[in-house]
Amino acid sequence: MKTINLKRAFKRTSFFGSLLLIAAGFVVQSCADLDPDPTEFALPPESFGSLEQMDKGIGGVYSQVVLAARMTTFYAPAWAGDDMTTHRALNKADFREFDQRAVLSSNNRLLRNWNAIYDAINAINGVLERSAGLIGLETINQEILERQIGEAYFLRGIMFYQLARVHGDIPIPLSKFPDPNISKSPVLDVYMQIESDLIEARERLPDMYPGVLPGAPRPNKGSAKAFLARLYMDWAGFPIKDTSKYALAASTAKDVIDNAGTYGFGLVDNLETLWTVAGRFSPESLFTLVYCKGCPNNSLANRKFARLGLPADLGGWNETFAEIKFFEDFPEGPRKEATYRTDLDWTQFNAQKSPVFKKIVGPEGDLNPGDFLTIRNDFLMRYAEILLIYAEASGLSGNDTPDAWEALNKIRRRAAGLPYATPDASVDISSGDLADLAFTERKWEFAGEYVRWYDLMRREKVSEVLSERDNVSGPIPEHNPIIGSLETSNYLAPIPADAVARNPNLGN
Amino acid sequence: MKKPFFEFFKKCLFTVFFLALMGMQYSHAQQTITGTVSDARGPIPGANILVQGTTSGTQSDFDGNFTIEASSGDVLVISYLGYATQNVTVGNETTINVQLIEDASQLDEVVVIGYGTAKKSDVTGAVAQVTAKQFEDQPLTRVEDALQGRAAGVTVAGSGQPGAGIKVRVRGVNSITGNNDPLVVVDGVFGGDLRTINPNNIQSIEVLKDASALAIYGSRGSNGVILVTTKRGSGKATVAIDQFVSFSTVEKRLPTLSSAQFAQLENDEFIANPVNDPSNAPYSAAQIAAFEANPIRYQDLIFQTGITNNTQISVSGGSDDGVRYFLSGNYIDQKGIQITSEYERFSFRSNLSKEFNDKFSLAANITASRETTVNNQDAFNRGDGSGILRSITWDPTAAVRDADGNYILRSPREVANNNFNPIRRLELSNHEVMTDRLNLTLNGKYNFTDNFNYTLIASVSTINSATESFRVEGDFDATGFTNIGYNNFNSTAHQISNILNWTKEFGKSNLDITGVYEFQGARGVNNGYNVSDLNVGGLYLADESNAENFSNNGNQSAIQSYLGRLQYNYDGFLYLTGSMRVDESSRFAKGNRTGYFPSGALALNFGNKDFIKNSKTLSSLKLRAGWGKVGNQNINASARFSANSGTGLFTFDGVNSDTGEVQVQEGNPELTWETTTQTNVGVDFGFFNNRLTGSIDWFNKDTEDLLLQTIVPGTSIRTFINAGGVNNKGIDFSLSAAIVQKENFSWDASFNVSQLSNEVTKLNDPEIDFIVGNAAGIGGGGIRLNVIKIGEPLGTFWGYEYQGTWKTNDNIPVDGDGNPLFQPGDAKFKLDENNELEFNTIGSGLPKVTMGFNNTFTYKNWDLNMFWNGSFGFDVYNQVTGTISGNGGNRSNLSPTVYDRWTPENETDIPRAGTGNVLNSSRWVEKGDFVRLSNLKIGYTFKENIIKGITSLQLYASGQNLLLITDYSGFDPEVSSTVRTFGGETANADAGAGIDTGAYPNPRTGVLGVKVTF
Repeated sequence: MKTINLKRAFKRTSFFGSLLLIAAGFVVQSCADLDPDPTEFALPPESFGSLEQMDKGIGGVYSQVVLAARMTTFYAPAWAGDDMTTHRALNKADFREFDQRAVLSSNNRLLRNWNAIYDAINAINGVLERSAGLIGLETINQEILERQIGEAYFLRGIMFYQLARVHGDIPIPLSKFPDPNISKSPVLDVYMQIESDLIEARERLPDMYPGVLPGAPRPNKGSAKAFLARLYMDWAGFPIKDTSKYALAASTAKDVIDNAGTYGFGLVDNLETLWTVAGRFSPESLFTLVYCKGCPNNSLANRKFARLGLPADLGGWNETFAEIKFFEDFPEGPRKEATYRTDLDWTQFNAQKSPVFKKIVGPEGDLNPGDFLTIRNDFLMRYAEILLIYAEASGLSGNDTPDAWEALNKIRRRAAGLPYATPDASVDISSGDLADLAFTERKWEFAGEYVRWYDLMRREKVSEVLSERDNVSGPIPEHNPIIGSLETSNYLAPIPADAVARNPNLGN
Repeated sequence: MKKPFFEFFKKCLFTVFFLALMGMQYSHAQQTITGTVSDARGPIPGANILVQGTTSGTQSDFDGNFTIEASSGDVLVISYLGYATQNVTVGNETTINVQLIEDASQLDEVVVIGYGTAKKSDVTGAVAQVTAKQFEDQPLTRVEDALQGRAAGVTVAGSGQPGAGIKVRVRGVNSITGNNDPLVVVDGVFGGDLRTINPNNIQSIEVLKDASALAIYGSRGSNGVILVTTKRGSGKATVAIDQFVSFSTVEKRLPTLSSAQFAQLENDEFIANPVNDPSNAPYSAAQIAAFEANPIRYQDLIFQTGITNNTQISVSGGSDDGVRYFLSGNYIDQKGIQITSEYERFSFRSNLSKEFNDKFSLAANITASRETTVNNQDAFNRGDGSGILRSITWDPTAAVRDADGNYILRSPREVANNNFNPIRRLELSNHEVMTDRLNLTLNGKYNFTDNFNYTLIASVSTINSATESFRVEGDFDATGFTNIGYNNFNSTAHQISNILNWTKEFGKSNLDITGVYEFQGARGVNNGYNVSDLNVGGLYLADESNAENFSNNGNQSAIQSYLGRLQYNYDGFLYLTGSMRVDESSRFAKGNRTGYFPSGALALNFGNKDFIKNSKTLSSLKLRAGWGKVGNQNINASARFSANSGTGLFTFDGVNSDTGEVQVQEGNPELTWETTTQTNVGVDFGFFNNRLTGSIDWFNKDTEDLLLQTIVPGTSIRTFINAGGVNNKGIDFSLSAAIVQKENFSWDASFNVSQLSNEVTKLNDPEIDFIVGNAAGIGGGGIRLNVIKIGEPLGTFWGYEYQGTWKTNDNIPVDGDGNPLFQPGDAKFKLDENNELEFNTIGSGLPKVTMGFNNTFTYKNWDLNMFWNGSFGFDVYNQVTGTISGNGGNRSNLSPTVYDRWTPENETDIPRAGTGNVLNSSRWVEKGDFVRLSNLKIGYTFKENIIKGITSLQLYASGQNLLLITDYSGFDPEVSSTVRTFGGETANADAGAGIDTGAYPNPRTGVLGVKVTF
């Protein structure tokens, strides 16, 4: 009988040797590559080491800003203005809440806008943090670096601004990752932060950004000043109502006007060209967000125009319509023609009977009516607004200068189809309440440009205007009746419920 | 990228082979008896062969083969539980083949336990076994269906979509982010995919459930392990042919307004507006009459009768020189129940083995398969719900085509679901995914001595998947609605396992020690491009488009492991098992990458004790207790790194774009394993000569350091964290009985039921008590439907609590100016103390109880199988009914409840006309409890040799899902909608358990088939 037992086995050196070898093999070999190189698949962001990286970072910031702005979501609160409305039903409840002044914290557009804007702000904070190490380095072209840091401040300022106009008190995170328990800052602190960002930008940005098309696709010194002027205008009105800012608004606007040539800004001759594809790079824009069609995935297309502004009769998506009384009251003339598609008889639509904005859908034949992806750019602020801020702020600060009247008259002349620079007694005015005249001029000039609601808010004219909003003269009533309060307590929108649920310190 | 792969080969594989060869050089002159232990049906693995009067013995291997050193005149005692013991005296022969006779009183089986096998009576852990015998009565195309309801503690939730993933869960879910799929080990090789395995190739499936069984799989074991053993050939050549054809339908229709009802309501609304001239009403009386006569039913148009053809041929056998073979080919061709959906699979398996001598044997298993899936509904834009949901909610007054035969692209009146025609989309699109898989496994075994052996398992597998897609989501003449995409995914995985096993008997003590060194690696690379705005679907025309987008990404991972296991058994009564596995994974940074996974188990088997031997009723009894730790590392290979997205496009000139960098992921070097500690106590018992057997297991699983993909607070930057803890506890109970055993009639039944409770016990950040989940709601609203909250199960629904409507006499809260916040008839949701909408947990999609009940009757040549399964104690978030009631892209209320809406006269709990429909509310949460007749089969087997040369011939007919008993109002409560997430996020299927966003329903299926063996 032969059996193998352990004792005998262990006597065999060859066996023992092979066991040892195996054991050694197990211990010595490290066959698994436990530290793959992550840069093979995605580059981890660290401190920037070069201007190229800074450039990529700034590019990323622009992509986030465009993502936030490319849809009407960015402007949804503006549906509260008496110039624009939306479909009375369909899936437009989020817009109707603004239009009818009954905005709930569950409003999806509020949430998406909130998230998109903070995505952009976080990206900017990340770029500012990562670029800090490049400042003062001899190997880095400091002129280019300063310019790009200025851009980052500019974009952060206008992003905070966009959100402050919606909610008033908002958190103002300034680091790469915000404090998870961050609280809201009072609107005054928010405005001071915006002012500080825009001043930081103004100090760093060049008079003209080199190598770009007209209309400041990348901001310049004049862009920063222009937004400062708008900020002071809001600051002087609701909710802070520090009227001392009117003078500052006027002087800042005047600064832009006086240096318009330096910054490459000015009025176009024909208002209508602003709403065309051909006119999308316009010296009238003080800062332009640029869109593209056919860029990869169409992710850079502007989704606010063409199809969005047409009724179902014309294959449209019924999102952005004009209000009837506003349309009726609109002074006849070239400006009305440039604002509305008067070639379409809206009273005969089978779908919703609302006038159509030419500013949204473009002149006939310009944009493909079936497109919701368009190439049109966004003018975040027009030179016309600087002129009218100057006029209104001058009036409100008791400083009706001839220059201020001239600023107003330029807009009036162009609205009448006249050369804006040539005085014309048929439209020019030089007496009356300059502030009110300028305010009214803004109403017509910026109709459908998501501006009117903020004007009504800062001047606390919501109740006065919106209670008249539905008094149409014809048989067709306005579609979305006001159901919420028109008082100041209801001007600002609540913080989105989802954001509050995640961070109770943001509670309304 | 061949570099890393071949580098590893150079570095590692040859060393291992070298070591193996070193081992082979060693040999010692011993006279050896070899043989096979078999019964009437085939080989018996695990039989004990002992030289009488000594402690020298061995066990037969999985194929019944054994080798033992013995001298002439020795008596070999061959025993196996369930069979009468035989004594054979050794003469001069060196081969002894033994055929054992069954002893029904002691049936026992061999189970695979991972890195080895064991007799069922010796198992100390909780292992559920499903053998081919148990599911051969059900015509199957999927292995998952074989598991459903047949293994206690295993839940299977399918979708009717051909080729789609089926969710298999073992004892609940632990993980929120990492997936909860159990580890599938096919013939010793990790990472198998159940869907690619032909069920006909399976010998047995073992599901390891408790930690003492799982701990040897360490960091991979926390979701349970499914061990699949494929068939091997033996004996004379056998050819088996199995062919079936099945027909599937969805009979149920969800209630929606008919064409005529909808048209009439639209007219009513139009006329109610004083501005409108009633004579201009959108629908004429004639049109409405026509709708009445010929309604347009999109639910009929999206579904069709699915047809499946399944053909399977296998050839198996063995020869005297130690060669065994099993070859099998399978072809499945499926036409899905959703129009244009198709699935096709070719698969091939070759299991070959050769015993070169009594020391050395080698086996090679090769599998290859090609799967093609066409028009899976999840491949299309799901922003406003799945294709099925879009069909249910499409304009019932618009036909698919107009009178000229042209497609009606959109609802002409912009009503109902205002998306593009869902039928047109499927008919014009062709989204095809073709996946080729190849797996090579080499299994070499060398016996140093009778009780000491070395096994090498070396495996390489590749997956090549190519997607060719032409999707037509909308207009041809507008920008952005057509898309051509080409994507290629390639992955390679390898595994080398070195297993040393030593067994020894010391008197009544038996010792079994296993040591393993193992390493695995995987690398996947994805690249593709897509273009838009082309109206022709040719791949080669894709470069005509200007809107081109390229994408590339990939990842790489590796893991190496050391494992030791000791099994001790005293006299077939006391069993002890202890094991320890150490894993090092590349998914975690140095310092956090090594995991230690210990386990221990104890079992007492009273089977040989007198009180059982003498009992008339009780025939077996075993108590088991085990404890152990297992881990989970199922997250992205690159989860610990920061990452930028290169998709941040920007342009300054409006023509050329450039890519900026945006941070999308924040690295977490602290990231580490999810660890589950599990305790299991169980009893196995048998009565009446084991005609009635069963087991009960109680378990408690505590998972810590839950891996979670979340966002850095206040940002959209994703990050992976160890978030907290989850507890699963429950009871698995199974019972099987041979109820009737007569010559002409028998009835076998098995029943199992599992109870499970799941709760999030802790979040590591002390400041928070919940984390909002990643399951996105229907529509672009940024709504999230799930939450991870302390005290609630994973897969808890998140939303507003619906309380009906505000009534005229209600005390409606007011704002600061005294204006009411709501109007009478508005939906009433639970408000917080500030009258703000409050988010709440509003239901859970995880079933508390699941059960299966399987019955097989045979009468002479007839057999009947009836299999029921059910789930209880869970909710379904019915987004489908919600969407039918109007939301998002769906602009009209199509629900018949529209007739019952709130009016000042009739203040119902259905909100008034004109209010927004809130989908994330408990209004849409329903109970999901159900019982299903999963399989009913009747078969007739012809007597042997009724046709010359044919060993057996069976004809059968069966029906699946013939009966579904439930109160759920949707298609099927056992929904498994693929969870949609927002860009850059991921969510596992369990986070979205029970969320129905238009899931592909389980069809009712009829099958006709034939099985022939010759």
